[in-house]
Amino acid sequence: MSSNSRFVPLVLETDTSFNMIKNYLHSACKSFLFLSFLVLISFSSYSQEISTEPAAITAGGQIFNANCKACHRVQQKLVGPALAGVEQRAPSIDWIKRFIKNSSAVIASGDEYAVNLYNEYNKTQMTAFTSLKDEDIMNVLAYIKSEAEKPATPPPGQQTGTGGTATNAGGGSEYLNVILIGMVIILILLVIILGFIISSLKRFLDQRPLSEEEKEVVHSPITFSSITSSRGFLFIVVFIVGALGFKTVINGLYSVGIQKGYAPKQPIAFSHKVHAGQYEIDCKYCHIGVMKGKSATIPSVNICMNCHNQIKTGTNTGEGEIGKIVRAFNENKPIEWVRIHNLPDLAYFNHAQHVNVGGVECQTCHGPIEEMDVVRQHSLLTMGWCIDCHRKTDVNSKGNAYYDKMVEIHKEREGKNPMKVEDIGGLECSKCHY
Amino acid sequence: MRLLKSLTIGFSAAVILAGCSAEGNDQGTEYAPNMYHSVAYEPYSQITDEDAGRWLTSIEYPATVEGGEGHAEYYNSNRFNPNRMNMRELPANTVRRNAQGWLPYRIPNDSTGLRLANRLKNPLDSSAQVLAAGKVLYETYCDHCHGAKGEGDGKVGAGITVDGVQKSAYAGVPNYKSDALRNISEGHIFHVITYGKNLMWPHGSQISPEDRWRIAKYVKTLQK
Repeated sequence: MSSNSRFVPLVLETDTSFNMIKNYLHSACKSFLFLSFLVLISFSSYSQEISTEPAAITAGGQIFNANCKACHRVQQKLVGPALAGVEQRAPSIDWIKRFIKNSSAVIASGDEYAVNLYNEYNKTQMTAFTSLKDEDIMNVLAYIKSEAEKPATPPPGQQTGTGGTATNAGGGSEYLNVILIGMVIILILLVIILGFIISSLKRFLDQRPLSEEEKEVVHSPITFSSITSSRGFLFIVVFIVGALGFKTVINGLYSVGIQKGYAPKQPIAFSHKVHAGQYEIDCKYCHIGVMKGKSATIPSVNICMNCHNQIKTGTNTGEGEIGKIVRAFNENKPIEWVRIHNLPDLAYFNHAQHVNVGGVECQTCHGPIEEMDVVRQHSLLTMGWCIDCHRKTDVNSKGNAYYDKMVEIHKEREGKNPMKVEDIGGLECSKCHY
Repeated sequence: MRLLKSLTIGFSAAVILAGCSAEGNDQGTEYAPNMYHSVAYEPYSQITDEDAGRWLTSIEYPATVEGGEGHAEYYNSNRFNPNRMNMRELPANTVRRNAQGWLPYRIPNDSTGLRLANRLKNPLDSSAQVLAAGKVLYETYCDHCHGAKGEGDGKVGAGITVDGVQKSAYAGVPNYKSDALRNISEGHIFHVITYGKNLMWPHGSQISPEDRWRIAKYVKTLQK
């Protein structure tokens, strides 16, 4: 008699005979005995059951984070499989222990489940964790079980949106608006106070004996034309307009041939603010040429893919922009970035000399690049700008034997004055123009 | 009236000149444009439009197509190279010369290779100078994922929270002090930087062999 056929009539027919209930109870007792026997067997062969005690779970969590997290997640497939439900999936708990301690031996023994697993995960060999004891592994399993039973949280990438940056940008202008409104209110109050003063002065003067002429002055109407024709007003207007016009003309003349502020749209909306600012990735991780050659170099697509093979959802733009990199990588096509900093052909500049030898920070010339969503040219890149820095900057001679003799000679001649770049030929024409 | 006239002239000059400065997509007005546009190939400034700058072209440039007109002043790209790049792609199997005369790293990228690499000896000594250089390189190339102490807690590895929003992270960064990694050799580290392993992608194109050995030295100090 199977359990199903025994169970169904009991539910359907509520007026079953006492005999039947007795029969059912009897077989239930039997199966309970059988079950407990099974459990006993499993206890003896698998040594223990997965614990649900908090102490075991925390201990397991620590071991998991230190040893397993690099390749495994509970809910997510990474290098190795997602571990939720592993205790039911794997052949036995004992098998799990053997596999963790020495996976290659289990695979070599021809165990079918292990070999399938090995082939499914691109024949990646799991590290042998010989130092983990049986109870450590049981704790890890306890941790995995407790994590697997937790309600699923959405992956972090999906929560990201444009919200963060939008509120950020709004903060500054709101502050300005408050100041402006405050100033307008103060000005209105000033006009009202001045009006009060004028009217009280008039009343005061009216109480005095005044001649006709004087009365006319006191009661002369303030009209628009009387204001505009006054000398003081004209002078102020002409002065302000003249000064503003002069400034604009001079600024305009100086801006010819200068590309400061140039911020072209790039083929991919790459944000330095996210990469260099928020994630604090070193500039030199991508701009690998900066210490070695003339050009700082723009990273090739494989460098982008070092992270973006996995990170596919962007902070600002979602999947669209990162998708362009992946496409370029798959099609083996270079991305045509737009060059921003253009030095005329007649001037030579070398990044390695400035960054590696001189120890100049990137931000000295490129500005707060780690705050820019779109890169713009920060510096003038004029000759005056170069020369100015060469006059002000001390030579980074410390620990550089090349400069030892120059420092010595400089000390003999100039005494304690620090050796500037101009002192060792930083202003010579042929240093940059040849 | 004279005042008004000069004001008008000044203003119109200002308005016209204001259009000269660079902003957004506009590079601004170039003074003597021939000097900005290199005749020789320039890195990262490839101009494929043959007619760009025709208005100031004063010499005869060669035609880019058979029987065609000569290209204009700004044109700066190479029609023979793939994607019309200025740079030539290196021939396959090119070997970079280095100051030490080291031969290229030829151990293959597979499990046998990793076992072979495990036995490699670091050609550099453990002087303070090498370790200091290794630290600088580690902070440049590794620590945003692996963390300052190699605990896998760099900002890219652990993920960041901006304005209360959790941002993406690069999952699967190991702890250097974990039992699996604590005893790896410097050769193993060198091999993994070169080819990558598991989730980590190869960094051999970014980091020179000498720098990789320096990093390996420094990583071993983090595992103590």
